[in-house]
Amino acid sequence: MSFETVLGPAARRGKQRRLPARPEAPRPRPAFARAGLLVAGIGLGATTALAIADETGSQFSAPGGAATFLGSLTGLVGTYLALMMVLLISRIPAIERVLGQDGLLRWHRRLAPWPISLLIAHAVFITIGYAQAAKSGVWHQVGVLLTKYPDVLIATVGLGIMCVIGVISLRAIRSRLPRETWWLIHLYMYLALALSFAHVLALGPSFVGHPLTQIVWSVAWAATAGLVICYRFGLPLVRSVRHRVVVTEVRREAPDVVSVICTGRHLDKLAVAGGQFFFWRFLTPRMWWQAHPYSLSALPQPPYLRLTVKGVGDHSAALAKLRPGTKVVIEGPYGAFTRYAQRRRRALLVAAGIGVTALRSLLEDLPRNSAPVVVLRATRAEDMVLIKEVAELVRYRHGKLHELVGTREQASIDDRSLPRLVPDLDHRDIYVCGPEGFVTDIVELARRLGVPDEAVHHEAFAL
Amino acid sequence: MKRAAWYVIAGTVAGFAGVLGLHGRAAAPSVVAAPKPTSGASRAASKPGSARAAGPAPATGPTRHVTGILEQYGYGELSVTVTVHGTQITNVSVPVLRTAEPYSQQLAAQVLPMLKSEVLAAHSARINTVSGATYTSQAYADSIQSALDKLHLK
Repeated sequence: MSFETVLGPAARRGKQRRLPARPEAPRPRPAFARAGLLVAGIGLGATTALAIADETGSQFSAPGGAATFLGSLTGLVGTYLALMMVLLISRIPAIERVLGQDGLLRWHRRLAPWPISLLIAHAVFITIGYAQAAKSGVWHQVGVLLTKYPDVLIATVGLGIMCVIGVISLRAIRSRLPRETWWLIHLYMYLALALSFAHVLALGPSFVGHPLTQIVWSVAWAATAGLVICYRFGLPLVRSVRHRVVVTEVRREAPDVVSVICTGRHLDKLAVAGGQFFFWRFLTPRMWWQAHPYSLSALPQPPYLRLTVKGVGDHSAALAKLRPGTKVVIEGPYGAFTRYAQRRRRALLVAAGIGVTALRSLLEDLPRNSAPVVVLRATRAEDMVLIKEVAELVRYRHGKLHELVGTREQASIDDRSLPRLVPDLDHRDIYVCGPEGFVTDIVELARRLGVPDEAVHHEAFAL
Repeated sequence: MKRAAWYVIAGTVAGFAGVLGLHGRAAAPSVVAAPKPTSGASRAASKPGSARAAGPAPATGPTRHVTGILEQYGYGELSVTVTVHGTQITNVSVPVLRTAEPYSQQLAAQVLPMLKSEVLAAHSARINTVSGATYTSQAYADSIQSALDKLHLK
């Protein structure tokens, strides 16, 4: 079985090869993301107002009033931002299509320090405020809060879990942890949030005796939990059961690169855009508990799906030993690295090393007369995987392929070489795919060469 | 998504103004919300002595109102006014109740009626404390005792 490009063996034999009818991947609609931002803003404003609305002048000037007020303000805003954090990784398809999985993750990471610091500030302010009001010591007040107030003890446990997760997510510590370990600990954030929920309704000044705010708050959290359950667990489960993907063949493409070819049912109903990726969970005794993101290295050709992976981590190296018949759970497709992102008339596709996989399927999705320019970089000639397929796809689209083989210095893509390879850069979007450092370099280069940010699209492979 | 920040800011202003506007219209008069019975209250109510109804008191002598001293009790402060007809306590009210936060306010509002009925039944400040509200009960009893002391009653 071979994975054919458009000009497969059939076409070469002179027969007209009919393209299989594939469902169009849903087009990203930026209006959804804008609406999401607006709603998120409204929620933030409403939450802040809630903290201020119930505060009276006499409460504020009473002993401990100021600290207590700051405590409820930081608590409310911090919890609201925590809710946003959950929404950002709940993979709501309408938003994901616009920002892409890595865009959402970037926002999630950027926002992350805020809810944690605000919630720590909340605990500190409330303790100080109550201590001042009760004219007792802070440490005595800690004991009173933990033992006498309802739900505060478990909320404190929740905050403790959040702090631990915050600490291990600091770059210096996170980079020393295995990805899976970090990921598993990080999942406990859901538990931490659930533990802290009750004390808000039982004690929050904006909630005690206010059934309306209690209901709105509860509905917002229930809806968020619903979205997470639907899109992170439900949809992948439904898709996996429906398509019943199994490994058919593992093929070596280069000394450390393998293609995994899977078969599945009803793949003609699976809408995928070129350049998108799935989270793959291979159900073997050693790998079932982790899902990894890998791009499709070709558009689905029912009943086949193909991913091509370089053995760099434990997981990707283990893929070479997969046996035919291994069941696969898929989650996706994700990613905004698709032809829909294109803003200008033509496209330049740049990839380094194994980044060629996403480029290969994206290329396949470009129309026949698109004349794309493709620049591939690899250190050694044998690292140029899938090169024949790419060449064929480029030729079919009347495009141009540049292969740069050599070290970074020998085959560099820089201010001088790129304009020479692509004279009409002003009319092209740039799609970059590859290791993180490579992607950053090319994105900066594009900026220096005057390509607007909207026309630069990237997908980085972090290990 | 360059203008992302503007959408968030516009939304934030709208949400902020909306809630403050709604709140201004809805919550002008009442300050202290009416408490709802919770599990804590039913636990306390099941304590012996606290559920007895106040019996009618024999009426002799003039009716007097005296307010006890303001008691600080850790979660806030309260003082109690006692109405005495002759030597019998006929009514108890709480003119001052200030708490640091709404939870204590709610708790006090639940507990005070129980304490009142205990006082009316016992005809003195010697009452059982309500479980879960020990400090409030003690402050209540102390304030009543100080009022009774002013009247030179037991």
